[in-house]
Amino acid sequence: MILSDYIDKRSLRFTWYYSLSQLKTKYRYTILGYLWNFIEPALYLVILSLVFAVINRMNISDYAVFLFSALVPWRYFEKVVNLVMESLVNGEWLLKKMYVSPFAFPINRLINASFEFLFSIIVAFILFAFLKENWTIHRAIIPLAILPWAIFGFGLGLICAVLYTFFRDIKPLVQMLLTLTFFTSPILFNRSVFEPNSLQARLMDYHPITYLAALFQKPVYEAIWPSQLDWTISITIAIASLLFGVFLIKKYKSKFYYYL
Amino acid sequence: MNKNILFSLEGVAVEFERHYLSQRSLREAVGRKLNGHKSEKIIALNNINLEIREGEHIGIIGRNGAGKSTLLRVLTRVITPAYGKVQVDDSKHIVPLLELGIGFQPDLSGRENCFVAGMLMGYTKKEIQEKIESIIEFAELKDFIDEPVKNYSSGMYARLAFALATDIDPQVLLVDEVFGVGDEFFMKKCMARMQHLMNRGLTTIFISHNVDFLINECDRLIWIENGELMMDGIPSAVASAYRNQDSQLRLVNAN
Repeated sequence: MILSDYIDKRSLRFTWYYSLSQLKTKYRYTILGYLWNFIEPALYLVILSLVFAVINRMNISDYAVFLFSALVPWRYFEKVVNLVMESLVNGEWLLKKMYVSPFAFPINRLINASFEFLFSIIVAFILFAFLKENWTIHRAIIPLAILPWAIFGFGLGLICAVLYTFFRDIKPLVQMLLTLTFFTSPILFNRSVFEPNSLQARLMDYHPITYLAALFQKPVYEAIWPSQLDWTISITIAIASLLFGVFLIKKYKSKFYYYL
Repeated sequence: MNKNILFSLEGVAVEFERHYLSQRSLREAVGRKLNGHKSEKIIALNNINLEIREGEHIGIIGRNGAGKSTLLRVLTRVITPAYGKVQVDDSKHIVPLLELGIGFQPDLSGRENCFVAGMLMGYTKKEIQEKIESIIEFAELKDFIDEPVKNYSSGMYARLAFALATDIDPQVLLVDEVFGVGDEFFMKKCMARMQHLMNRGLTTIFISHNVDFLINECDRLIWIENGELMMDGIPSAVASAYRNQDSQLRLVNAN
């Protein structure tokens, strides 16, 4: 498996420069541009933590830290899936006119979403500072912990991008599945609300997001290292989805032209 | 004729499915499967065998819908044919002018678009940097180069695109009827530059309905009809066969 089989140099140069120009353009005409990137996730996090702290009857600052720890990567993941899904269809203006690798636009969307993620992680940490959490060394793992989320989001996004190219009506379906996944995962609520060995608690063991969320919840909220099981399952899911997504693109790329 | 082969097509065929709906949906696809409908196929190119060598000036003629533009898209690898083999020399800067301003993004400025589109043509940032001033000058866009191109007039757009396509170092230029844009003065400037590049050994492939232009400028003419390669050879011979067929057709229609 050689990288150059999948994306050529000129497509990679294009993707990188195009992403940078887009980021510059996005903020060119507004002073609030960068600031908005901070305000938007901050508002979202504060409102959500207020509402769910009441529902869950938890101490607000305690709950907020719990919630933010996994919500921030989830929001990034969701964004990556959605943007990458639409990347081929939205790249029609170029893909139908000039040769560029089919991975150019998905990678471009991944870069853009990752840039926004940087802002929200900064916001989350500022909020943590306000909530007087003790800082532990475990948080240093976060740059690594985001990788399985990014790869999983990109892989799933590629799979959806191929489907979306052929079937435009799958978009609401994907959205619904993401929402379902979110509300059944232990991001909003702590697993400890269930009795140990209850059906719900056991179901949680089969939820893929349980392990991905643990990569953030454990170092940030519980101040412990993620377990080996968390890493193994997260990385396996991420790599499997990436390989499948890449396989689908390779298999169907010659048909894209007719469906864009 | 020992020059390098830039493009080689062997038994190339391109088919389009006739879509009943402009957009494909899962509902439609399942419905079609269940009803056992087969979608109709339109053959855009059929069994094309072609070799294009470095330095050739080729004209492509044929009636509307004959498959000329599809052929250019196969050469630029935008379309992967259903059958046959396509080989393209990737080491060359192949610049498609299928329409002016491909690869331009409306929200980016003229300058940024030069970089983005230039990179798609295979140039590095440095190569574009070195030429950017002369591109701006040729396009006569000094005051507007940092404006988003969505604010450009179609003439400005076309000037920038042409300047970019021809200024850096194109080795193969694929031109699809794009010389109808811009004012007369700019047209003359474009033609002068094209001729200069062609004399220097640039490989060019023109699609045009202006057969006299092609006879003058090209050393080889390819005639495509209904997706088939009808004739490939000396411009004057191919052109007269093409025109004869045309007058015969008109006679048939008149009767």
